[in-house]
Amino acid sequence: MNPREFFINPADYGLPTRDELVSYRIWDNHFHGFLSSNPIEQYERNNFFVERMGIERSISQEIGGTLEKPFDPYPYNAEILKILERDKDRLSGRTPIDPGFPEESCAKVQKWIRDGPCIGIKYPGTGAKAVTCSHPNNDPIMRLAAELNVHVYVHTWLKVGGTPRLPGGDNLPSESTPMDLAKLAQRFPQVWFICGHSGGDWELGVRAVRPYKNVLLEFAGSDPHSGMVEYAMRELGVDRLVWGGHGPSRSYATELGKVLDADISKADRMKIFGGNLRRICAPIFRKKGIKIEL
Amino acid sequence: MKPLDRRSFLKNSLLGATAVSLGAQQPSASQAAAGRAAIATSFEIPGIIDTNVNLFNWPFRALKYRDTKALVAKLKKHRVIEAWAGSFEALLSKDMNGVNTRLANECRTQGPSFLIPFGSVNLAWPDWEDDVRRCHEVHKMPGLRIYPGYQPFDLDHPAMERLVKITAERGLVLQVVFGMEDPRVHHPIINVGPVTLAPLLKALASTPNAKVQLLHFTGPSRGEDLSQFMTKANMVMDISRLEGNGAIGRMIGSITGLPSPRFPVERIVFGSHAPYFPVETAILKLIESPLDAQQLQAIMQGNARRLLPRE
Repeated sequence: MNPREFFINPADYGLPTRDELVSYRIWDNHFHGFLSSNPIEQYERNNFFVERMGIERSISQEIGGTLEKPFDPYPYNAEILKILERDKDRLSGRTPIDPGFPEESCAKVQKWIRDGPCIGIKYPGTGAKAVTCSHPNNDPIMRLAAELNVHVYVHTWLKVGGTPRLPGGDNLPSESTPMDLAKLAQRFPQVWFICGHSGGDWELGVRAVRPYKNVLLEFAGSDPHSGMVEYAMRELGVDRLVWGGHGPSRSYATELGKVLDADISKADRMKIFGGNLRRICAPIFRKKGIKIEL
Repeated sequence: MKPLDRRSFLKNSLLGATAVSLGAQQPSASQAAAGRAAIATSFEIPGIIDTNVNLFNWPFRALKYRDTKALVAKLKKHRVIEAWAGSFEALLSKDMNGVNTRLANECRTQGPSFLIPFGSVNLAWPDWEDDVRRCHEVHKMPGLRIYPGYQPFDLDHPAMERLVKITAERGLVLQVVFGMEDPRVHHPIINVGPVTLAPLLKALASTPNAKVQLLHFTGPSRGEDLSQFMTKANMVMDISRLEGNGAIGRMIGSITGLPSPRFPVERIVFGSHAPYFPVETAILKLIESPLDAQQLQAIMQGNARRLLPRE
């Protein structure tokens, strides 16, 4: 089937047509196209859905290494670099680091961002040591991020568990909470941060990052809850929200539904779907000589 | 003019909609409007039977569409023509008759012929059989919905086989809820474990033709569960928990290059899990997956109507 072939008209069901989705200028802040044992095939296959759902640009979360082993040589790097160049009009990437290893992390940022193609730093939740983003180890990495004027994406969650049973009590040892990110953001107000997955539990995640204006909240990779976007808008303001697809493991349908559920203006939807991300990415795109329309 | 049979009607109405939704060959606004008008006058655009909504208050958050009137309006806005409604009150209540009576009244007053009440019974409470009887005989409900985990029993409960048998004898649809929310974000006060399919299949052994629907089901985790599922003629699942790009298409094998079908399309029905989930999400899944007109019709309403025929 052609990706633009539909057998029902979304407008008949109270939803935007593909052309309307395109008009939102959707930038997918959270793309796992290369997260697979067969990353190239998965990326190419997923392009069917990128095209079908009108996604303008995807930001891959794993360029220059996997989330679990960010410093190990990755056999697909050469092919992925070629794809980044081939698809530069619709694909960008962040490079994963691990604050358990600050020197290696800084070296990786220099190689893949300062001297390479990446446009952001990615903090996974699967570091080898029990070091979250609030640990002092992170400070040299943040000083470098500030110097390069590049934003930092932090995977955050609040998995309920532990004794006593509380949100965050079941997190992995290196998995940051939104409260960890709040501490880091307070120390580095000059750096833009993205609170990944809305903290997992968005009602608590929003509260944790609310005071720190340099933190944006991401809707991606958690279940779609009716009302979540409007709540975040009330508490943080629309300029602090970004959208991610988390595909292909999550569905664009799941993630788009979160924003389409909100009774908000098209201008506000466009900010969440891409405008806000473009705003914080603009300096690094400019530095790399890549023209983007804000 | 040659009359259209039902198959042609559905095919033409769905294909008619195609012409106005192709991004690359978008007609002018007037052409599109004319196309839609022609469809509206010649054919009815197919509506959706939503088999998975709940009424009243979610215990842990004030949901946007917690008011039934607002929920009905929202569903109708998205061309839902019928919604099978359970009650959030069934999760934690002991007075199940009160829960079911309020549900029946709410459906009757807020959405007659639109909201179809699915009452609940709690196998852990005494005399649950009489709640089945009242749902069927007093409230005239066509089905029941159980919430294992929130209701303090699992599908290996000794009474499960009897519940399946009783509902089948009464011609009721039994909806089994496999989850309500991501367990990672549960309120700390509750500790609901995973619900597994295998015990349900065992309970179905003596009543293989029972009408059973799995709600918010992620898909079988083991091969043997899936093959046994296929042997039950009237067992279906909703799409509310299917996740990943093209999830429905992958499930039924409509995506080229991926493994052969895991599930026949006849076993899949529309379910939104509204108002907890946005109804938009489930409809977008239909649009995201590469589905043809017949597959869409089956999922949107045909399979549900087969499970629950109405006059």
